[in-house]
Amino acid sequence: MSPHTEHQASQGREPLDVNDPRLTRFDIVREGAHRDDIEIVHYEPQVLPGTKAERRLTRVVAGFFLITGLAATAFLAIYIWWPWQYEPGRGGDKFYTPLLGLTLGVALLAVGFGILTWGKKLLPKEVSIQDRHEGQVDKESRTITGQTMLYMADELGVKRRPLLGISLLAGLAPVAAVAAAPLVGGLISQPHKNNQMFTTGFAMPEGGQRIRLVREDGRPIRPADISTGGQLTVFPGIDHGVSNKHADSPTLLIHLRDSDAQESRRANERIGHGDYMWGNYAAFSKICTHAGCPASLFEQQTNRLLCPCHQSQFLITDNARPIFGPASRRLPQLPIEVDSEGFFVAKSDYTETVGPDFWERP
Amino acid sequence: MTSDNDRRRGLLARLRERPAARSRGRRRLGAAVRLIAALMLAGGAYTVFAPGAQAQDNPQLTGAAAEGKALFDVSCVTCHGRNAQGVEGRGPSLIGVGAASVEFQVSSGRMPLARQEAQAHRKPPVFTDEQTRQLAQYIQELGGGPVVPEGDDLREDGNVAAGGELFRINCSQCHAFGGGGGALSSGKFAPSLHPATDRQIYAAMLSGPQNMPVFGDNQLRPEQKADIIAYIQETLKHDQDPGGFNLGRYGPSTEGLAIFLVGIVALVFASLWIAGKS
Amino acid sequence: MKRRKFDLAATPGKAAAGVDDRFAVATPLRKLLNKVFPDHWSFLLGEIALFSFVVLLLTGVFLTFFFEPAMTEVVYDGSYAPLQGTPMSAAYASSLDISFDVRGGLVMRQMHHWAALLFMAAIVVHMLRIFFTGAFRKPRETNWIIGSLLFWVGFLAGFTGYSLPDDGLSGTGLRIASAIMLSIPVIGSWVTSSIFGGEFPGTIIISRFFIAHVLLIPGLLVALISVHLGLVFTQKHTQWPGPGRTNNNVVGERMFPRYALKQGGFFMVVFGVIALMGGLFQINPIWLFGPYEAWVVSAASQPDWYVMFLDGSTRLMPAWEISIPLGDGYVIPPLFWPTVVLPGILVGLSTMYPFLEARQRKDYRSHNLLERPRDAPARTAVGAMAVAFYIVLTLSGANDVIADKFQISLNAMTWAGRIGLLVAPPLAYYVTYRLCLGLQQHDREVLAHGVETGIIRRMPDGRFVEVHQPLSASNGHADGHGQLDYVGWVVPKKMNRLGALGPAIRGFFYPIEKPVEAPVSPGHPPVEARPEREEVGSGESRH
Repeated sequence: MSPHTEHQASQGREPLDVNDPRLTRFDIVREGAHRDDIEIVHYEPQVLPGTKAERRLTRVVAGFFLITGLAATAFLAIYIWWPWQYEPGRGGDKFYTPLLGLTLGVALLAVGFGILTWGKKLLPKEVSIQDRHEGQVDKESRTITGQTMLYMADELGVKRRPLLGISLLAGLAPVAAVAAAPLVGGLISQPHKNNQMFTTGFAMPEGGQRIRLVREDGRPIRPADISTGGQLTVFPGIDHGVSNKHADSPTLLIHLRDSDAQESRRANERIGHGDYMWGNYAAFSKICTHAGCPASLFEQQTNRLLCPCHQSQFLITDNARPIFGPASRRLPQLPIEVDSEGFFVAKSDYTETVGPDFWERP
Repeated sequence: MTSDNDRRRGLLARLRERPAARSRGRRRLGAAVRLIAALMLAGGAYTVFAPGAQAQDNPQLTGAAAEGKALFDVSCVTCHGRNAQGVEGRGPSLIGVGAASVEFQVSSGRMPLARQEAQAHRKPPVFTDEQTRQLAQYIQELGGGPVVPEGDDLREDGNVAAGGELFRINCSQCHAFGGGGGALSSGKFAPSLHPATDRQIYAAMLSGPQNMPVFGDNQLRPEQKADIIAYIQETLKHDQDPGGFNLGRYGPSTEGLAIFLVGIVALVFASLWIAGKS
Repeated sequence: MKRRKFDLAATPGKAAAGVDDRFAVATPLRKLLNKVFPDHWSFLLGEIALFSFVVLLLTGVFLTFFFEPAMTEVVYDGSYAPLQGTPMSAAYASSLDISFDVRGGLVMRQMHHWAALLFMAAIVVHMLRIFFTGAFRKPRETNWIIGSLLFWVGFLAGFTGYSLPDDGLSGTGLRIASAIMLSIPVIGSWVTSSIFGGEFPGTIIISRFFIAHVLLIPGLLVALISVHLGLVFTQKHTQWPGPGRTNNNVVGERMFPRYALKQGGFFMVVFGVIALMGGLFQINPIWLFGPYEAWVVSAASQPDWYVMFLDGSTRLMPAWEISIPLGDGYVIPPLFWPTVVLPGILVGLSTMYPFLEARQRKDYRSHNLLERPRDAPARTAVGAMAVAFYIVLTLSGANDVIADKFQISLNAMTWAGRIGLLVAPPLAYYVTYRLCLGLQQHDREVLAHGVETGIIRRMPDGRFVEVHQPLSASNGHADGHGQLDYVGWVVPKKMNRLGALGPAIRGFFYPIEKPVEAPVSPGHPPVEARPEREEVGSGESRH
C-alpha cells in the first residue's frame, strides 16, 4: 500500500458516492472521516508488507504473546502445586505470593507490550485533523430550544397561576423530608445516653463497691506487682472491662520514683487532686485527649508520656500536662487507693472527661 | 536544648534514684536498708581509700568479680566513678542496678559510651562475653539487683500467641509492630529489637535501661518474658514474610514511597514509550 | 457446498446489517471509530487512575467473597499460629483467612491495596498535569471539579477500605476519625454517635463502612468517572500547540484501531505493574498489628499516603483550644482546624480555582490549546506553592519515622514542619516564578538570535563570539535574520533538534542520532503557525 498523503480538497466538497465500485476501501474510510470533519492528512505504513522489518516485528509481537502463555501457565502451576500454607516455625511460604505476583505480572506485561508493539510499530502512522466546531454553536438551534422551553412554561402557566407552583413546592417539600426521615431517624443516636461520654468503666455502680484495677487477663493488681520505673496498662474489673466495650477505660498505672512521686504529689495538690495518688503510684487515662490514641510511650527517666499518633507529650509529674504537640488538655487522673485485701481500686470514676475533646465538654 | 536538659535531669534522677530500681516490691524495705548500708559502706570505703590506695584486694569479691573490678577500673571508672558510685554530670551510680543492667548495656556495646548524647547507641561490644560476665558479677556483688537467668535460650516453651498479645500491649507502642523501633521525645528513641539476643531482651525488661519502663518479674512473670522473647525471636525475626519484600516494616510511609518510586515511575516510563514517536 | 461457503463469508456482514436495521448503530459507531485523539505521554496519566480503578473492582469483588464485615467476637483458629486463640472480630479473622487460608488470597489483597494507592497517586499526578498545563480552563471547568471530587471520594473509598480489616492499625485510624468527627462544634458528638451507633467503637461501624466501601462509594466513583470520561469525549481532548494545531482542531490519531490498541496495551501494563507490586512488595501486614484493641497501638501508626497530609497537619497544629465560657462551658478542640476546616478550604480552593483564575486574568474565552507551564508563571508558581504545602504536610505525617530512621529529634521534626509550612510555599512560589521567566527569556532569545552552535569565531577586533544558527531566513533586519514569534511550543535549542517534529522522544533509553530527515507531515518546521485548515500534507514520502 502506498502512503495516502495526497492533497485533499476539504470543505464544501461534494460527498462521494460510497457505492461507487471504483472506490477502494480506504477511500470509503476517508470519506467516513470527512463526514465527521476529519482530514486524514498523513497515513503511512511503518513497515512494508513482506519486508524483513515486518517479519522481525511480527516475531517480536508473537514472542510477547508466547511469553504471556508461558507465564500464565507457570502461574497456574505454582498456584496449584507450590506449598503455600503457613507452617509454625517457618511462617507462610516466602515465595508463594511473590511468584504468583511475578508470573501474573509478567503475563500481563507481556500481553500489554505485545499489543503495544503491534499498535505502535506494525500499524500505519497517521496524522488526522478533526474540527472541534468550537465557538460554532448552532445559534438557530439555541433559539429553537430556548423558545420551546419558554413555550412549555407558558403552556403550564405557572406565571399566571402562581398557586400551582407554590402548592407544588409546599407539597413536595415534605416528600423530600419523608425520603430523608427514615435514614436520619434510623441512624441518629443520642450521644449522652447514660451519660456515657462522661463516665468510664471505673464509675461505681449505685451503692456498689469501688471498682478494682485489673490486668489484661483480669487479675487484680497489688502494689508490689509494679517495679519502680515500671508501668502497667490496667482496666476496670467489671464485665467486659478488658474489651472495646469500654474503649475509654484503659488506664496507665505508673510506679514513680520517690523524688518524681513527691513532685507529682505537689502538682496534684496544686490543682486539688491531693489524694489521687497512692504512695508512689499514679494512674492516668491511656486515651489521649487529642485524638483518642493510646498515649502509652512512657519514658521512665524523663517521666514523659508520648502519644504515637500525633506526638503529643505529657509530663506525668505535672498532672500529665501537655508540654509538646497538638494536645491541649492534660490526661485525666484516676484517683486510686489500695483496698483491705491489698489490691488497687479506683476511689471514684475519673473526675475529668476522658478521651478526645468535643463541643459540650465542660 | 530540651534534650540537654532532659539528659541532665535524667542523669541526676539516675544518680539519686537508681538504687530503688533494683527493689522488687515485696523486698523493698529490706532492699532499701541494704542499699543504704551499701552506700554507707562504699562511701566509707571511698573516704578511707581515696587518696590513692587501690581497692583491688577487696576481700569480699569473688574471683570473677575481682576480674570485673579490674576491667571496671580501666574502662568505666571515668564516668561511673570509683566503686561505681557515679560521677556528677558524667555517669550514674551503678549501685543496685544489678547484673542484668550491666549485661544489657555492655553486651550490646552501648557501654562504654562513645560520646554524650540523648541516648546511647548500639555498637559492636568492647568486651568479650567472659569480661561482660565479670563486670556484671562485680556490679552485682557491689549492690545487688536483678539478674538474668542462666542460659542463652530464654524462650524455651515460649508461646508465641501469648507472647504476641503481651508484646502488643507492652512493647509495640515504642518498638513498633515489627520490632523495628521508633522515635521518642526530643531525640530519644526505642531501639530496633532485631539485633537483640534473648538475654539482652530479658535483661532490658528486668532493668529498664534508659527510658524503658521496668518490667520486673512481679509484673511479667519469667514464663511471660519467655513468651514475649519467643514472639520477638520467632515470629518477628524468624518467620518469613509471606507477601514479598517487607519494605522495612515501616508501615504506610514506605508503602507510599514505593507507589511513587516504583508504580508511578514505571508507568510514566511506559507512557513515555507508548506516546513516543520513535 | 459452494453455496454454504459463500454464506459463511457473508455471515458477519449480514449479521451487522441485521443489527443496524434494528438499532441504527452505523452512524454513531462511525463517529466513535472516527474520534481523533491527540497523543502525548502526559495524556496517559489519567488512564493509570482509570485502569487501577478497574483492577480495584476486579480484586475487590474477589475479596468480598471471603470477607465477613462483622464485629462479632470470635476466637481465631486459622493457620496463623501467632494469633491462634486470640479473641478478635469476625472482620479481622476473615481478613487473616484471606491472607493465610484462602489460596492466592494474599496476592489479591495486596494487589487491591496497591491498586488503591496507585489509583490515588495517579489521580494526583494527573491533576498536576491538568493544572500546570491549564487544561482546566473554559470549557473544562466542570471536569476539573469532577476530578477534584474524585480525589475526595477516592480518599473516602481508601479510608473505609483501610478500616475494614479491623486490625490494630486500622482501628487506630478509625479512633482518630471518630475524634475528628467529635471535634466538630455543636453537632460533633451527635454525628459521631450516629455514625458509630453509640460510643466508639460500638458494634456496627465495620458493617456500615463495608456497604459504603463496596456499594455506595464505588457507585459514586463509577458515576463520576463516567461523567468525567463522557465530558472528555464530547468536549474533545486538549492538545499542545504546534504545527497545524489550532484552538479549533484536534490533531492526532483516530481512536481506532491504533489509539485504542495502545490503550488496551496500556491497561495490561498497568494491571501487570499492580500484579508485580502485589506479589513482590508486602503491604499492610495485618497479622503483625493484631486485632484492634483500644489500649494497643504501634509506634509509627500512620494512615495510607493520601491521608498522610491530614495526619501531618494534625501533628503540626499547635495546641490552640478555644474555650467558650457560656453556661457549663463549650470548647472547640485544636483537632478541628487541621482535619475539618483545612480539607474544607482545600476543596473550596481547588474547585473554585478555574473561576478565580479566569477572573484574575479577565480571560473568559475557550481554550483547547494547552499552555506550557513557563508561559503562565503565576499559575505555575501557585501550583508549586500548593505542592510545597502538600509535601511538607505529607512528610510531617511520617515525621516520627523520619526522626527515628535519620536520628533527628522528634520535636525538631515537628518544629521543622511548622516552620517549613510557613516558609516553603512562598519560597516555592518565588523560585518557580523566576524559573518560568528565565525559561521564557531563553526561548525568546533563541527565536531572535538562533541556536547556539558551539562554534566560536574570533572577530577582526579580537572579540570572540559564538556563531548562532538563525531559525529563519533573513528579512532585511539589521542583524541579518528575521525574528520568529513564539507559538507556545518547544523551541529547538540544540542543533540536532532543528527540523525535529514537535516533542519527538527520540531514543528514551539511549540517544538515537539519526541524520535529520526530510520532515514528513504535517510537513513544516515547528515554529511556523499554520493557517487554518487548508491543503495540508507534505506531498512527499520517504518510500
